[in-house]
Formats: sequence, structure tokens, C-alpha cells
Amino acid sequence: MKTKNYRLRSLLFEIFKYTVTILGLLIMIIPMYYMIISALKDNATTFIYPPNLFPRLSLLDFRNFIYILENTIFFRYLWNTLIVAFISVIMSAVFSSLLAYAFARLHIPGKKVIFAVIISIMLVPGLALIVPQFELASMFKLTNKLSGVILFYTAWTIPFSTFLLKGYIEDNISKELDESIYVDGGSPFTVYRHIIIPMASPSIAAVSILNFLFPFEELGWSQAILKSDEIRTLPVAISMFFRAHSQTDWGYVFAMTTMAMIPVVIFYLLLQKYFVTGLSSGSIKG
Amino acid sequence: MKRKSIILALFLFLVIAFVGCNNANEKVTIEFWHNYSASDGQITVLETLIAEFEEDNPNIEVNHVFMEWSALKNSVTLGASTGVLPDVLRGDIAFVPQFQSLNVLLAISEFDDYETQAAKVLASANSSNIMGDDYYGLAANTNTKILFYNEDLLEAADVDVPESLDELWAALPVLKSDSVIGMVEPWTGIWNVGPYIWSEGGEVLSPDNTTAEGYINSQIVVDVIQTLADLYQAGELAGPSMDPGATGDTDGWASELYAFELDGPWRAASNTAAGINYGAIPLPEGSEGSISVLGGENFMQFKNSSTEEQVAAWKFIKFMTDEHAQVEMAKVGQMPVNLEALENAEAVTAMPLLPVFQEALLTARARPVIPQWSQVEDIIATKVAEAITGTKTVQVALDEAAAAIDELLGD
Amino acid sequence: MFIMSFFDWNIGFQQSSPYIGLENYIDVLTDPIAKRAIVNTFVYAIVTVPLQMIFGLAVALLINGIKKFGIIFRLGYYLPVITSWVVVALLFRYIFANTGLMNYFLVDVLKIVDGPVSWLSSRWSALASAMLLGIWKGIGWNMIIFLAALQAVPRNLYEAADVDGANRFQKFFYITLPSIKGTITFALVMLAIGAFNTYTPIAILTGGNPMHQTEVVLTWMYFQTFDALNMGYSAALSMIVTAIIMIITVFLFGITRRKKVA
Repeated sequence: MKTKNYRLRSLLFEIFKYTVTILGLLIMIIPMYYMIISALKDNATTFIYPPNLFPRLSLLDFRNFIYILENTIFFRYLWNTLIVAFISVIMSAVFSSLLAYAFARLHIPGKKVIFAVIISIMLVPGLALIVPQFELASMFKLTNKLSGVILFYTAWTIPFSTFLLKGYIEDNISKELDESIYVDGGSPFTVYRHIIIPMASPSIAAVSILNFLFPFEELGWSQAILKSDEIRTLPVAISMFFRAHSQTDWGYVFAMTTMAMIPVVIFYLLLQKYFVTGLSSGSIKG
Repeated sequence: MKRKSIILALFLFLVIAFVGCNNANEKVTIEFWHNYSASDGQITVLETLIAEFEEDNPNIEVNHVFMEWSALKNSVTLGASTGVLPDVLRGDIAFVPQFQSLNVLLAISEFDDYETQAAKVLASANSSNIMGDDYYGLAANTNTKILFYNEDLLEAADVDVPESLDELWAALPVLKSDSVIGMVEPWTGIWNVGPYIWSEGGEVLSPDNTTAEGYINSQIVVDVIQTLADLYQAGELAGPSMDPGATGDTDGWASELYAFELDGPWRAASNTAAGINYGAIPLPEGSEGSISVLGGENFMQFKNSSTEEQVAAWKFIKFMTDEHAQVEMAKVGQMPVNLEALENAEAVTAMPLLPVFQEALLTARARPVIPQWSQVEDIIATKVAEAITGTKTVQVALDEAAAAIDELLGD
Repeated sequence: MFIMSFFDWNIGFQQSSPYIGLENYIDVLTDPIAKRAIVNTFVYAIVTVPLQMIFGLAVALLINGIKKFGIIFRLGYYLPVITSWVVVALLFRYIFANTGLMNYFLVDVLKIVDGPVSWLSSRWSALASAMLLGIWKGIGWNMIIFLAALQAVPRNLYEAADVDGANRFQKFFYITLPSIKGTITFALVMLAIGAFNTYTPIAILTGGNPMHQTEVVLTWMYFQTFDALNMGYSAALSMIVTAIIMIITVFLFGITRRKKVA
């Protein structure tokens, strides 16, 4: 009797759980749905009031997408963004894992102070640094080059990545493993390569997803650096595009943004199984 | 510590690897920043023109870079101290004083043949380049604002095309309905309210641009702003800058929401694209006539370019302001400044409203050419918006504007 | 930048920049718009940070207990996070426009209000729209962070609680919450930093309009840098903001440290 009642209650709870989750999901994706629908509609119908949320299928077509592909160098922008994303993700992963390892394990005088300085960089509003950083970039002749964006993105993502990785290394990788390597005559670098890298890989993957998003998102710096059309990344291209068209052609803008999301979604789906486990550690327990 | 130096070395290596090297050849390459619009086909025309120019001048290569309006302005600001600047730029006439205050512009009136070239263009348009005794640019395109109206909406409400400002204001309540708002004014700066003020005999600053007290807060200006405030509060005038949720002017025209707007040549292009049945006249007269505001773009050159680049850039400017290039640009909606192009039959056919604009240009006024102008206009835009939305009474808001501007000009 | 804040910094070509001491700081602190921008930013932070965390945690708890379709939910809730700010801000401007989706629901579907509400035309309703956007976009990030934390809570604690006959709420308050306390602090600090760095949503939703009423710290800084060319002023403003964030961070970490000792 008691178990039956218990089963019923837990079944009800299951139903309740799914209902709430699905409802929440709907609320979360309504704006996205609206975006995709608007991308598929004719421009002229975008501003009709009341808004038509469920247009007949016959009203939908891929005209806006075709227009974008024919009239902009979309794949070039995408390629640029991917290049920036991959190189900066890899560089950031290498540097921040090295740094995290150094901060977590090696005995460096004053390392707490250095770590605090690196972390406090995260606190300065990014926008405030654009002017001085631009002067730095032009000193190294990095303006109007993808490398200018890559190097600075790497530099920006390192503090946060280091912070997360350091926590992961401290909490999830036992020091005894290091010591066994030292006993066998290994150097700190052997430890890094054979212990830290393999064992911290879920965390590195998680950090990389976050960093990968960055070039698809960042606008201020990339707009300052990337002048020529053929080296622009997607956010710059999108914002130029929607302002360049004296009439805001929402259908085109939404079509472009919908397409820009696809690679990010794919990347997320590929790595998502590492995402949760990689973050799931003491790393973010403060 | 060892690790640190490895990191450092790697980093330096990457920096050097990425910097690469620039091979200089005999050709002079000039960089040209502009905001010609992509959607109207202006960039395609520009590319054709550049190809022609390069054919005539085989030793010059023009590298053109599109940036939208604010990106253009911000890029020059960012690049000013380090010299990451183009060799030639085509941008808003309001950029001249601001860039000059950054000390980056070249006084191009020092070229021997500047006067000859300047004589080919509208003097009123070129006046926006004078700072002190020198010219810091050459007019590229001009425009002014004329009154556009949606013919279908006017007909439906049985409203005649207004012949005076008072008739215009009187028409707005008549046009107002559930699906129509009489007029739209996208911002509240002098670009927007200036024509109404000037046409009624008001002024923004004293003639020598030293004070606003007694000008921006004079009775005439107060009355003009009061009229706008009454209309706005009755919902007969829309202001997307005061209510960012209001439909933007372009979208509003396309959906036949707005019946009137005082606007420039681009409105003709977007209305035609949206299939709107529209007409346009010069701003209807106020008590002191019809005085619209002068807009447009200038070509500017930069100090930090090498002498060869400066000479090449000047050649390019001359090419772009001659009749041929100006007519080609007129076909895609850029109003010429070249006197011959203004009369050119092809240009007039391409821009049916050209005569209307030319009439309006005869009396149009430039905004004051002072370095602090963008701040002055921001003060005015803020205070006028406070007055129009009724946050403050018109007199109080404009008195505050006068005080704030005088403090700024007094610095 | 720290140095810049003491000068009447001129960014122009070969221009000199006189030293003016604390004048920039005085300018910032006496400027009513700067004050309003700081207040707006605080309000934004105080509202969005806890709400994002609560919703994010709730979603994480729900999804954590779900066996089927987990991937769909994870992707769905995370979609807003991986969409760029520019895009979602445009989308929200569109939704909160006078003739937008929000008014459509309120006026024509639910019939709660008589006429369309001008969401973006007054300070607080415009900020509310921006905050809703901030929360909406932040839930996914919090969900992932908390999901990770929840999976690290040792299973045997729950099993022990089951033996003791604890109910769901007891388990949540006595086991889950204490176990993820560190994550909560971490999220709190990260989100507070993020909230003070809010730029795009405001810039696109209202552009600081009407009349600089909805300015936040970064939009005002941007205006001072690029429109008014007051480099010194914006440097001083950013130093002040950095100091505020630093105090908040130290304070938040301080609270949790003390609790650990206790």
C-alpha cells in the first residue's frame, strides 16, 4: 500500500518535472523561434501587427538566406571567425594550462601575488582597455590583421581559463601522481605532459567551449582592428551589414544570424559531454 | 621560472610570426575609408570608378574599406594618436571639426589647384570644410532635408500637401488614426529641430558661435519646441529617440505608419524600394521662410600619410568630384556637388527629386562648424527631448541647455 | 589607463596632455549622468544576478533528474548563451517595440492592458526589458555551471538521507545547497563582474535614450570616449568601476571564507 502510494507520487512528480522543464524550454526558445521564422519570411511582412507567429508554410522560403549567400562573402566571414576561434582556443588552452599547472604545483616566489594580478585583470571593464590596447596593437603593426584579434583574444581568455584550470588541477589530480613521476626522474614538464594534460582534458575541453564562443560574440575590439571587408569576423560583418542597409532588412539580418549560429551549435553538441564533467570539480567551488 | 621564459619566448615568436612583412613596391597604394551604402549599389559603382581611376593612373592603387557611420568616426578617433588612419576618407560633414580637434586632418587648401577644383563644386556645400583660414576637405556629396509625404495616407485623410509650417502642424491631428501617426522625427538634435527653429527666425548660437544664452532659449525657439511637445504628447508626432520602442522611421514608412518626415535623399531610395507612393516638397515656409539643414559628406586627407600618398589621394579626390564620377554616384542616390553634374540630364533622370533638393539647398544652412559641436548637439538633443516628452517645461529645459552649452564653450 | 585618468588626455595626433590631478575624478563624481549610470548598473546587477542563479539552479535541478532527452533540454536552455549579444538584443528590441510581440500578448492575447505599453520609453520599464534580456540569456550559463556542481555532489550523501527518511526539501537544503556553496560564490562573482560590464543590451535596446536615462556605466564610458573625446574622464570612470567590482569581489569571497571557518 505504502509503496503503491509512493510510486504514484513519484510518477506524478516525474510528470510535473517534465512539464515544467518543457514549459521553461518553450519560453527560452520562443525568441529564437521568432528569429528563425522572421528569417524565413518576406521582409515586408516582418512588421505586420499583430505579429504572425505561425505563418502558413507557403509563406516561408529561403530567399533571405540565398540573398545573404549571394550578396555577402558569408563563408569568408565564417572562415575568418573559425580561424580566429580555433587558433585562439588552442593558444589559450596551451598557455592557460601551463600557467594553471605552474600556479597549482610549482614553487614560484610571489606566485600568489602574480596570480592575484592576473585574476584582477578580469575585473577591469574590457571597453576601458580598447584605447590603450589599440595603441599597443598598432605599435606591433597588428591592426587590420586577423592575428591582432587572435593574440588579444588569447590574452583576454587566459585569466579566466587559468582560474578554472588551476582549481581543477588542485582538486582532481592527486599530487602523488606527480611525485611518482619525479621519483622516476621526470621533470616538471614530464608531469605536465603525462599527468596534467590527460587528466585535465575534460576541464580543458569545457574551457575551450567557452573560449570558442568568444570570437562569435565579441564586437568592440574586432571592429576596431578589422578594417578590410575580407578579413572581418561574423559579429563585425553582421553589425556592418545591418547598419549598411539604409533600410533595416530584418529578414536578411536574421537569416545571417541564424546561419552564424550553426557552427557554434555543432561545436557545442560535439563537446558538450565534456562540458559538464569538465566544469564539475572543485575548480569552481571558490 | 624556466617555464615563464619559455612562455615568453613562444609568445614573442608568435608575435613576430604574425606581424609578417610588408613589401613596398613602386606603386603607391592609398587607403580609402568611406560609408557609401551597400544596399543601393553605391559600392558597386565605387568599385567601377576606382577601376577607371587606376587605369588612368597606373601607379596608384586604391584600397577601399567600407565602415558604417559610427565605426568610421570611432576608427579615426582610435587611430588618431598612433596614426592608424587612411590616406583619404569620405565621411559626414560633421566629422571635419571633430577630426580637426584631433589634429589629424591635412589642410588640403595648400594644394596648388585646390581653388580650381573647389570652384567646380557648390560653394555652400564646401563651406563645411573651413576651419580658420584653411580648408580641411572637399565636398563629396551634399544633401538637405525635404518634406516627404505618403500620398495614399494624405488622400485617405483628405489632407492637402501643406504650404506652410502651420498647415503642416495642423495636418498631423487630422492624419492621426489607429494605424497612422502624422509625422516622425528620429532624433532631437539640431539636424532635426534646426529647420523648424530657423524657419521661424530662431537661432541656436550667437553669430560668432560663442554663446547660446538668449538664442537657444529665446521665445521663438520655446514656441517651436512647445508646438512639437504638444504634438508629441498627443501621439501625433513619433520620436524613436525619445521612445526607443516606437517603430523606426524606415520601418514605419515601409509599413505605411508615418505620413510625413523631413528627411534626405536616402528616404526616396528606401521608399521606392518599399513600393510607397510618396511625394516631396521643400520644407514648407515658416514666418521667416523655408530654411532646411545642410548635410552631406566631404573628402578628407590625413597628415600622417607620406607625401606621395597625399598627392595620390588628392588626385583621387579630384577624380571623385569631377562630373563623370559625380553623375555615376547620382544614379545610385548620392546627390552631386559638382555644378556640371547637377545640371547633367542623366543625373536628373536618375534622381527625379534633384530639382526639389536644389531648391531647398538654396536656403539650407550648415550647422555651426566648431570642434565642440557634437557635445553641443548632444546637450541640445537631451534637453529638447526633456522638453518634448514633458519631463520639464520647455523654458526650463532650454535655459538649462543654454547654461550647459555656455559652460562648454567657455572652456 | 590609471595614468590617463589624471590627465586631460588628448588622443589626437601629437597633442600634449596636461596633468590635471584629480579633476577627472571630480568631474565623474559630480556628473548626474554618471551617477545615474552607476545606479542603473547596480540595479541591473542586483536584479539580474540572483534571478539568473535561481532560475539556472532550478533548471539544473530539473534536468539533473531527467533521464530522457537530456541533450535536447541542455541545448535548448543553452541556445541563448551561444547566440551573440548583438543578435539577442536586436531580437528583444523587436519584442519590446510598441508594436512588438510583448504588447501583442498583453493587449490582444491576454487582454491585461488596454493599449500598447511603451516599454523602452521610460527609465525603469526600459531597464526592466534589458534585465529580462540579461536573465533570459544568463539562465543557460548558470544551468551548466550548477549542473556540473550537482553531479559532483557525492551520491552516498543522498542515499544516507534516504535511509534517514528525509524528504526532497530537506535533501535540497541540507545536502545540495551546502555542497554547491562554492559554486554559488563563484557564479555570484562572475555574474557581478558581468553585470558591471553590461554594454550591448543597453546600447542596442535604448542606446542610453531617452535623455541618457537608461545609461549604464559602459554605455556612458563609450559615449565619453568616442563622442565627447573625454579620454581622461572615461579612464577615471573605469578606475572607479574597477574599484567597485574589486570591493564586491573581495566582499563576496570574504563572506564565504568566513563561513568555511565557522
